[in-house]
Amino acid sequence: MEKIELSIAVLVLIGIIVSSGTMYYTTTVMSNLSTLTSDTATLTENVLNLTSTVRDLATITGTLAEAMGEFTETLADLEARLAAIEASLAAKAKETLIVGTTDAVENTLDPAQAYDYFGWSIMQQISSTLVSVKPGSISGTDFQPELAVSWNASTDGKIWDFTLRQNIRLPSGIELNATHVKDSFDRSIALIPYIPDGAPANLYYDQIINRTEVLSKYKVRFYLNNAYGPMLGIMSCRASAIVDPTYAPWMVQVNYTAGDARASTPLAFVGPYYLSKWERVGDKDIEIRLDKNPYYWNATSGYPKTKTIIFRFYRDASTLRLAVEAGDIDMAFRHISALDVLSLQTNPNVKVWLGPGAPIFFMCFQENHAPFNDSRVRRALAAAINRAAVVATLFPGLANATYSIIPPGMLAHGDAFKELGDANLTLTRSLLAQLGYTSTNKLKFDLWYESSGHYQLSAEQAALYKAQFEASGVMEVTLQPADWPSYRKNRNNGIMDVFVYGWYPDYFDPDDYAFLYWASWLNLHYDVWNPTVYAQQVALYDQARYTTNATLRVQLYNQIEDIAADQCSIVPLFVTKLWAVTKPKVSGLVLDITQDMRYWLIYIAD
Amino acid sequence: MGLRVYIITRILLTIPTLLLLLTMVFLIMRVLPGDPVDLHFERKGTPEQIAQMRQILGLDKPLWNQYVDYLWGVVDIGYLLRHGYPNLGKSMQVTSQDVGGQIFSVFPATLELAIYSMIIASVVGILLGTVSSKSYNSLLDHLIRGFGTVTYAIPVFFLGIIFQLIFGVYLHWLPTGLRINPNVEPPAHVTGLYTIDSILEGNMVKLVESLKALLLPSLTLGIILSGIFIRLTRTNMLETLRLDFVTAARARGLKESTVTYDYALRNAFLPILTMMGLQFAMLLGGAILTETTFTWPGLGSYIVGRINYRDYTAIQGAVVMFGLFVTLVSLVVDILYAYFDPRIRL
Repeated sequence: MEKIELSIAVLVLIGIIVSSGTMYYTTTVMSNLSTLTSDTATLTENVLNLTSTVRDLATITGTLAEAMGEFTETLADLEARLAAIEASLAAKAKETLIVGTTDAVENTLDPAQAYDYFGWSIMQQISSTLVSVKPGSISGTDFQPELAVSWNASTDGKIWDFTLRQNIRLPSGIELNATHVKDSFDRSIALIPYIPDGAPANLYYDQIINRTEVLSKYKVRFYLNNAYGPMLGIMSCRASAIVDPTYAPWMVQVNYTAGDARASTPLAFVGPYYLSKWERVGDKDIEIRLDKNPYYWNATSGYPKTKTIIFRFYRDASTLRLAVEAGDIDMAFRHISALDVLSLQTNPNVKVWLGPGAPIFFMCFQENHAPFNDSRVRRALAAAINRAAVVATLFPGLANATYSIIPPGMLAHGDAFKELGDANLTLTRSLLAQLGYTSTNKLKFDLWYESSGHYQLSAEQAALYKAQFEASGVMEVTLQPADWPSYRKNRNNGIMDVFVYGWYPDYFDPDDYAFLYWASWLNLHYDVWNPTVYAQQVALYDQARYTTNATLRVQLYNQIEDIAADQCSIVPLFVTKLWAVTKPKVSGLVLDITQDMRYWLIYIAD
Repeated sequence: MGLRVYIITRILLTIPTLLLLLTMVFLIMRVLPGDPVDLHFERKGTPEQIAQMRQILGLDKPLWNQYVDYLWGVVDIGYLLRHGYPNLGKSMQVTSQDVGGQIFSVFPATLELAIYSMIIASVVGILLGTVSSKSYNSLLDHLIRGFGTVTYAIPVFFLGIIFQLIFGVYLHWLPTGLRINPNVEPPAHVTGLYTIDSILEGNMVKLVESLKALLLPSLTLGIILSGIFIRLTRTNMLETLRLDFVTAARARGLKESTVTYDYALRNAFLPILTMMGLQFAMLLGGAILTETTFTWPGLGSYIVGRINYRDYTAIQGAVVMFGLFVTLVSLVVDILYAYFDPRIRL
């Protein structure tokens, strides 16, 4: 039995073991199967996800490609637009001349008031005078018809008749006639008492012109108080520009009106351009734009050559130079400094234009400050100056030494001051010794110069003059700078011992220069300390002014200059040339003794 | 104290500040030696002309009366609404234009230049300052510090001329001056800021040209001002990065960029904000030189021109305008400071 029971127990045990093993195996298999199923499901899911991801990726790639395409298109579009902008600007650039300048209209474009270079220059472009100086003139006295086709003077020189060009239309459609001319001059003369600083006052229109008369629709007559030598010179200057009665009310001074270019000037728009825009803040111009005038009387000759002129205003000479070098502007005119011009002459990206000069610089002595009331002191200083050295050092090729207050090329230009010599220190010492000035008792004085850039290289000039004076060994000079407003104030208050001043012509005649020897606005008190010679010079001047005999005028001016060289109330130093800098493609500039810039002749070549 | 109360208090405090400024400017202009009218005419004016100018400028009245007129002119809302600018008196020019009108016609140019310059200065300064602090004592740190010192020390006109030479004269990429290409008509005046007005007008040509003109002057001013922002940002960041909350942030496993820019820079920003306000005032002073260098027709150029012509009323108006602007910027900065730093309101 025991064997049977043992056998059963063994069998049961074996059964249990086998069953357990089988169950374990089955469970393991089942578990693996479950894992497998799960993994398969995960795999399927992953595969699905992957498919989806791949699909998404494809979508993204497509979108990206699409976006890239759009971006490329946008970029191309942007490039095309920029190219179009550049092209339109380039096309516009040929019709437009951009002029950079450091000048500005001083106050107004009213011929009854304006008396500044830039104001006059703008006026020349937008209006006309009865006559003008031929472009390229050497003497400044080659007059040509402008609004007047002919003119003649009576034998005594006191009556001048001008016959007007016909069919000159104002923008209003009204034809320009003799009444316009008469009204223009009558208005300027009537306003003189109210505008003592205006050009007509300074040019003595009221003393020269007695009255005007309309002889016919196209003929106007001027009755003068005396025969007047420079009559045509006066008639060609901008103070004689014709005004439009619509914008030039009687006895009203016309000034800048913000946002209204037409109302900002009384001028008749009969010139090559009209003023289409004038933006100004305070006394500083921001932009001036001139557009081609369809009513210009000489339009049939092809003028103006450039449709639009835009003036942009720069603070100083260095920024103006940078602008023209960078190609921001087509032309830089007044004032690129002399030293910059010399270096720009070798720059192939710009063209430098040079013309003869008329601006003159001279040394002045305040005679209220002893010992400058003694002509020997003034002569001593004049003899010590070395003009050639100043010109060669500071303005090589851009200025000429002058020994006459009348510039080279002009009627009666001479060399009276040559008798004193250049760097003639022997004469200097000898004259000063007569007054007790020696190397141990030096003549001490202040030499003033303008320091804010109104005059070119004035500090450098002053340093040279100081060195030249002190080279005599009998003078001791203190340099005194003053900015332009202070300089003018000091001049008017007579507080500067010795100073340098400049003069820019109004018209091209010795009449506009010879008076500088005793000009009241220089406030040198020459008339007070030297009444006899002063009266003598004024008498000679008046005699020259009131005759049309050129030979006699030359003789009279020469006599004035001889006295001047003896008195040295002022001492002529040098005459500067005129220069402009343009892009190489700019053509047509005519620089002559008139110092005018005739913008209607300028064009940009292809 | 809530934010609203703080703002109201701060605005009210601006009033005595402005009053003090106006009074000081008024008195200084009156105690200067020399009669401005006599100086204007240089002894050449007739008694009638001199009397007329005195009347136009109000100089024929007693001083207290002039003062009251002057203050009233500045705060005269009716005048402001009629003309679009405050009454800052008449210019001493022959044409006797309103100084307020002149100033407000040029001020947008200066404002536009100031805004773009400040954007450049802030972006360049803060970014480089942060990078420098992160690379402490490395070659990059030394280079950035050197850059900051050099840009802060370099004169604005010198850098301006160098930029003009490189980008204008040699490369011909950018204009050397003025607000817009002369061949392009400026956008119609809405804000006076050419870039904004070009966008408002929808004119891409004008926008591109005004941005081109703006780039060199604002880059010049911006880079020069960035020097101080670099140094300030670097110093503040170095201090902040050592603080516990930054260590804690790093310990929490936050990304380094998050720790640097979201945590540290935000906390280091407050002194930089104050400096931005102060620099805005400096920037207006710098604008005078920048505007002169780049022929930028703004308030700086205007003041230089007025000084040259001894136009006392215009100079007085411009100084008041500068003062007003700086006061307003300070006000805005203080309000922003309070917004960013709640402790101020406590």
